[in-house]
Amino acid sequence: MPSMEYDDSKPSWADQVEEEGDEGTLPAAKETIKGNIKTITDYKIDEDDGKKYKIVRTFKIETRKASKAVARRKNWKKFGNSEFDAPGPNVATTTVSDDVFMTFISSKEDLNAQDQDEDPMNKLKGQKIVSCRICKGDHWTTRCPYKDTLGPMQKELAEQLGLSTADKDKPAGSAEPEPAQPAQSKTGKYVPPSLRDGGTRRGESMQPNRRGESDDNATIRVTNLSEDTRETDLQELFRPFGSISRIYLAKDKNTGQSKGFAFISFHRREDAARAIAGVSGFGYDHLILNVEWAKPSNN
Amino acid sequence: MKPILLQGHERSITQIKYNREGDLLFSVAKDTVTNVWYSVNGERLGTYNGHTGAVWCVDCDWDTKNVLTGSADNSCRLWDCQTGKQLALFNTNSAVRTCGFDFSGNIIMFSTDKQMGYQCFLNFFDLRDPQQIEDNQPYQTIPCTDHKITSAVWGPLGEFVNAGHENGEINQFSAKSGEILNKAKEHTKHINDMQTSVDLTMFVTASKDNTAKLFDSTSLNHIKTFKTERPVNSAAISPIMDHVVMGGGQEAMEVTTTSTRIGKFEARFFHAAYEEEFGRVKGHFGPINCVAFHPDGKSYSSGGEDGYVRIHHFDPHYFDFELEA
Repeated sequence: MPSMEYDDSKPSWADQVEEEGDEGTLPAAKETIKGNIKTITDYKIDEDDGKKYKIVRTFKIETRKASKAVARRKNWKKFGNSEFDAPGPNVATTTVSDDVFMTFISSKEDLNAQDQDEDPMNKLKGQKIVSCRICKGDHWTTRCPYKDTLGPMQKELAEQLGLSTADKDKPAGSAEPEPAQPAQSKTGKYVPPSLRDGGTRRGESMQPNRRGESDDNATIRVTNLSEDTRETDLQELFRPFGSISRIYLAKDKNTGQSKGFAFISFHRREDAARAIAGVSGFGYDHLILNVEWAKPSNN
Repeated sequence: MKPILLQGHERSITQIKYNREGDLLFSVAKDTVTNVWYSVNGERLGTYNGHTGAVWCVDCDWDTKNVLTGSADNSCRLWDCQTGKQLALFNTNSAVRTCGFDFSGNIIMFSTDKQMGYQCFLNFFDLRDPQQIEDNQPYQTIPCTDHKITSAVWGPLGEFVNAGHENGEINQFSAKSGEILNKAKEHTKHINDMQTSVDLTMFVTASKDNTAKLFDSTSLNHIKTFKTERPVNSAAISPIMDHVVMGGGQEAMEVTTTSTRIGKFEARFFHAAYEEEFGRVKGHFGPINCVAFHPDGKSYSSGGEDGYVRIHHFDPHYFDFELEA
């Protein structure tokens, strides 16, 4: 029957699909030698992603002349752990590494200079990392050679100093009830925040309207600006009235275009007043500007 | 150049050595196997299995028949190079640090460590006398009471052994009488490695005091000094050029605390006469523990603390390069 013959010569497509679907089977490794080039084609399934890989390795076969003894040794049978290795290098033990080059050194100074740059520790060499509290030397305080002699002396000195400054301050009766403690703050001892410089002063508020009252009072609000207005335009427009400390132009976050209003802070309130008088109702970019005092912001 | 990477060891390499023709490369490491490789393509010929401790040293005789290894398992073993079979076992009281065949291949020497209450000995066996091996009785034993031997090589004609000690001293011991023929003290610290030139007239020492020095084998005259800024673990003399290659790096215990960029794990090439460095080759991840030149001078190998042996075949550049004097 003709169909039987056909089956023999070519496997049916169904068989092929079956073979491909079966993950356990891989095409056999092939080895071809063409001239002095040997090509080995391997197939392997990666353990991690289960994909099939085809590995092609190309070798150049070299024939070298060698002495008889060396040639004889080249034909020795492998032994020990390599007993069952195939002829030729085994990939498990022998691999070709990446290209490396010998870097030639023409002048020694160059190389050393480069070396020093590369060494991050060298940068630290000039700096003092550790400073002794007793003698200001380059070592830990506990390792100070003058620990026993200088240490107690300094303590005494500090105590005396502390006493004398306190004595001076008290009779003076300064307006600020701030106990001065220069001796302590300089020796690097821990000082609780309540005793630190300015510890008794009232803390500063985060409220912006407390910060600079004069600033806020010299700020004007400009509205009805055109969308194309830039900060530089505003600077040009308001500079003639006096020195400007700050310009804030409200801009759209996304497009960066002006939202049509701005705040200008002058150093002096008079300048601001003149600016209001001068620019309010001024035609700018086909729009009539509206300028007025900025209201103090509520946070 | 594309180095051939040999991955036959699981721990740091302690010594590598070529045979006389250079077609075979032996490598030993702190694991227990001794590997032998074809140096031309990096193919592993085989392993010598039997040691049960770190192997410190390896040597091969002139006709590549026998291989000698010394190990921290308190033994020195003689192997048949071709088959990997053990021919003889010399038991010692402490670890074997260095070993070597003399040029005839008939007499072997090995030194033992000062440890576990035993002192350092330099032992000589004559392999032609089976009785010595059977009784484990060397024909010559030299005790070194003060400082142990850390490296040793045979001098020319098999008359004496030059031994480097842990205090930097070099002593020349006669193989016949056992007496000290010559002394030199040029190094200040541990001598890590000693390697001879091809004709055995000179040898180069590598020391922990950051230098390698060239000596005359017979007179122990100090000829040259090669200075670096890190401990030198190994140094070798090129057989065809006036070059010395050195491998080193900071100590293994300090490797993890410094970055590889400042680790300086390169092999460094010095001009033997001008004492000046002219080239470097990078590659190892850790300090280089041993370097060896192929006897034809066209390639060299290095073994590192990282457990790899790398065979480098020089680019033509190397042979053209001339140092500006």
